[in-house]
Amino acid sequence: MGVGAPEWVTTQLDFVVNWARRNSLWPMPFGTACCAIEMMASAASKYDLARFGMERMSFSPRQADLLICAGRVSYKMAPVLRKIWDQMPQPKWSISMGACASSGGVFDAYSMVQGIDTIMPVDVYVPGCPPRPEGLIHGILMLHEKIKGESVTDRELHRRLRAEDPETVGLPALPARSIDELAKPFGNSTTQNRPSGLVPDRALERPRDRKP
Amino acid sequence: MSTRTVEYEISRAPELGIDGRPVRVPAFPPGVDPEMHGERMLINVGPQHPATHGVLRLVLELDGETVIRCIPHIGYLHSSFEKLGEYRTWNQIVPLTDRMDYLAPYIYNCAYVMAVENLMGIEVTERCKVFRVILMELDRIFSHLLWLGTTAIDIGAFTPFLYTFQERERIYTLHEEYTGARITTSATRVGGMMAEIPEGHLDNIRHFVDTFPKTLDEVETLLHNNQIWIARNQNVGAMGAEAAIDAGLTGPNLRASGVDYDVRKDRPYYDYETYDFEVPIGEHGDCYDRYMCRMEEMRQSLSILLQALDRIPDGPMNVDDPRVILPSKTAAMNDMESMIHHFKVVMEGVDAPVGESWTSVESSKGELGMYVVSDGGSKPVRWRVRGPSFVNLSALPAMVEGHLLSDVIAVNASLDIVLGEIDR
Amino acid sequence: MADDKRFDDALDELEQRPVAEGAETPGPEAGAAGEQPPSVLALRAEFGDAVHRHEVQGKGEHVVFIDASRARDILGWLRRTEGQEFEFLLDLTAVDYGGGRPLQVVYQLYSQRTGAMLRLKAELPLEELEIASVVPIWSGADWLEREVYDMYGITFRGHPDLRRILMPENYAEGHPLRKDFPLRGRFTRAEQTRRALAMAVEDFYIPSELDVVSRRGAPPEAS
Repeated sequence: MGVGAPEWVTTQLDFVVNWARRNSLWPMPFGTACCAIEMMASAASKYDLARFGMERMSFSPRQADLLICAGRVSYKMAPVLRKIWDQMPQPKWSISMGACASSGGVFDAYSMVQGIDTIMPVDVYVPGCPPRPEGLIHGILMLHEKIKGESVTDRELHRRLRAEDPETVGLPALPARSIDELAKPFGNSTTQNRPSGLVPDRALERPRDRKP
Repeated sequence: MSTRTVEYEISRAPELGIDGRPVRVPAFPPGVDPEMHGERMLINVGPQHPATHGVLRLVLELDGETVIRCIPHIGYLHSSFEKLGEYRTWNQIVPLTDRMDYLAPYIYNCAYVMAVENLMGIEVTERCKVFRVILMELDRIFSHLLWLGTTAIDIGAFTPFLYTFQERERIYTLHEEYTGARITTSATRVGGMMAEIPEGHLDNIRHFVDTFPKTLDEVETLLHNNQIWIARNQNVGAMGAEAAIDAGLTGPNLRASGVDYDVRKDRPYYDYETYDFEVPIGEHGDCYDRYMCRMEEMRQSLSILLQALDRIPDGPMNVDDPRVILPSKTAAMNDMESMIHHFKVVMEGVDAPVGESWTSVESSKGELGMYVVSDGGSKPVRWRVRGPSFVNLSALPAMVEGHLLSDVIAVNASLDIVLGEIDR
Repeated sequence: MADDKRFDDALDELEQRPVAEGAETPGPEAGAAGEQPPSVLALRAEFGDAVHRHEVQGKGEHVVFIDASRARDILGWLRRTEGQEFEFLLDLTAVDYGGGRPLQVVYQLYSQRTGAMLRLKAELPLEELEIASVVPIWSGADWLEREVYDMYGITFRGHPDLRRILMPENYAEGHPLRKDFPLRGRFTRAEQTRRALAMAVEDFYIPSELDVVSRRGAPPEAS
C-alpha cells in the first residue's frame, strides 16, 4: 500500500496510542497479603517501578489503568475486588500477581477465591509465592508487549475487552461450570486431603497394597 | 527488675492536662456551640485503602471531622489457616506460618516449631537456640522497619519509606541467603532448622548489624523532632495502662502505655535471660510513645544480635532424634534402615504424642501464642494462633473515639497491625 | 533378590503400623496429673466440685477443667482475688475433637504479679453450645469470643455484640472450624462465588451503622 493509504495512518496512530498507554500505566495496587509487600518492594528504590512510569500508585480506581491484584482474595473480599474493577474506566488491564490471585495458591479452602479470573478478566498472570520484584516487572513488561499488539481499529478486541456490558457488572467472569472445573483439587497429594489422626491416616493407599 | 530512665531531647506538645496526662481532643472545637451540629456522617474506610495496612475496613460515624464511633470490620483476608493446619503434617504447617505475618516470617516459624517441640518434649541444640534468637531479632528489626516506613508515609512523610525499604532489601538478601526466599522463609523444622548455616552468612548478618545504625539515625533525625510528626502523633490515641491490659494489648502498644510486660523478660525462652538487653517502656501511651518504643526496640535488637553472633556455638543444628529429623542424605542413599526412616518421616509425617501446648513468644507486634493440640497422629487436631494484632486492633475504637478523622490513620498505623495474622 | 525382599518386609512393617484408634478420646484423658500449683489448689478450695480435673501438658503447663456453667464466676474470681490476679487474658479459643465429643472452650490466663500461667477448659456438649461471656471481666475478650462464635457456633451469653467476625455476615455454610465442616466448604465453588458477588450494599453494613444514615431522615441509600 502507498504512503497515503488509510491503514498507514491507523498503524501510526496505534503506535502512538499504545506507546502512550503502556509507558505510563498507573497501577491500582490491590494489595492484600504478602505479595503486596513484594509489590511495595518493587516500587521502592532497588527495583524501581518509576522507570516504567508507574510510580504514581493510584489508589482511586477512577484514575488507574492497571489493577495489580497482589495477594490472596477471600470470598468476603471478592465483591470489593469486582467493584473496584468495575469502577476503573477503559482502557484497563489487570495483572494477577502471585499464586493465590492466579489460582488460589496454597489456600484450597472454604474461604478463598480459587483464582481471581473467576471474578474478573485477567491479562497477565505472574506466578510465585510471592513473585520476586523481577517477576512482577517481567509481568509488567509482558503486558507492555500485549499493549503494543493492540489496535484502535480492532473491532474484535474492542468488543471482547473494551466494551463492557452493564448487565455483567458484578457477576462472576466465568460460567459456573468453568469455576468448578478450575477449582477441583488436583494432583496426587497423598496427605493433603485427609484430616488429623482421628481418621486412620495411611499415607499409602494404592489399590495393589496388601492389607494386613 | 531495675529500670533506667532515659532523657530524650524531644519537645512535647503543650496540650497536656493539669495532671500531666494528655487530654482528649474535645468533640467540639472551642467556640462552637455544642448544640449546633449537623447530621452525623457514615464514612467507610477500606477495605481497599492505601493506609489501612492491608484489607481492613473501618466504618466511622463522624460529626464533622470528629469520630463519634469507629467500628472495624475484619475477615477480608480470612484464609482458613487454622482449618488448613488440621490437614497438614507438623512440618507442612511451617510454610503456612510464613504467610500469616509476612512481615516477620522467622518469628512465626520459630514460634510454631517451639510449640510443637514443647508438645513433643524435644529440646533443641544450643546452636539452634542461638541461631533462632538471631533470626527472630533480625525479623523484629525487619518488621519494625516496614512499620516505620509505612507509618511515615501514612502521616505524609515519603522519604523514610525509601530509606527503610532499602534497609529491608538488605535483610531480604539475608533471608534469601539462608532460605532461598525473600519473604516466605519456612526456615525451621520440628527439632531444628531447614539447613545448616551457609558459610559467610553470619558475617553478613554482622555486617548488617554494624552498618544499620547509621541509617536508623538518619531516619530518626527526619522524624524525631519534626514538628509535624510531633503534632500528628503526640496525645493522639492515648491509652492508659489499666485499660490497655484489660483490652488485651501486648507488645510495644502495651509497653508504650507504661506496662512492663515483655515475654522475653517475663517467661524467657531460648536463654533470653542470659542476654543483656533492655525493654523500652513508654509513659503516655500515645502514638509518639509507640514510635519511640519501636525505635528503641530496634536498637536493643541490634545489641541482642551482636551478643548472639558472638556466642553461637559450633555443633549440630538439628536435634539427634530419629522421630523427627531426617537422616543424612548419605546414610539414606546407602543403607536400607535410613531410607525407610526417611520414607516414614516424609510420607507419614512426624508423630506427636497425645497432648497440647500453648507457647508464646514476643513477636514484633506483641505476644504471639501458638496452641497446638495433638491426638497422637501426624497432624494437629487444633492449631490455634493467638495473633497479637487481632487483639490490638480491637482496642482501636477506644483509642480513636473523640479524635479527628486524620488521627484514625495515625493511630491505625501506630498499632502496627498485619492483617494476615488478624484474619488468619 | 535379597534387597527387594528386605524392601518388601520393610513396607509390610509400615502398613502394620497401628492405626489411631478413633474410639478413644485422645485429648481429655491425656496428660499426667502432676503436682497442683497454688492457684489450682486455691480454686478447688473456693469452688469445690466446679473444678473437675487438673493436668500438666506440654512443657509444664497447667490445665484445669471447669464446669461451663460456673466459668464466669471462676474466671472473675481468678481476676479479682488477692493473690491470684490473673490480669492478662492471653487467649480464648475452642477445640473440637470431632466424633460427637463435646467442644472445649479454652481460656489462657497469665498473672504478671504471681508469674502464674493457667489454662482453663470448659466442656460444652454439642446440643448446648452456650456459655457465659467474660467480656465484663476482660474487655479484650470481645473479639476473641466473636471469633469462637463464628468458627464454632458457641453462643456467649451476655456478649455485647455477638456476630460473625471473620466470615461474611450472611455466611450460610455453617461454622468452619467444626470437624464436620469440610475443608472446602459446603457449597460448590461456583455457588460460593455467586453468593459472594451477589451481596447488596446493605449487606455490608450492620444495623447500628445503617441507623446513622436512617437517622438523617432520608431512606438508607447506597453509600
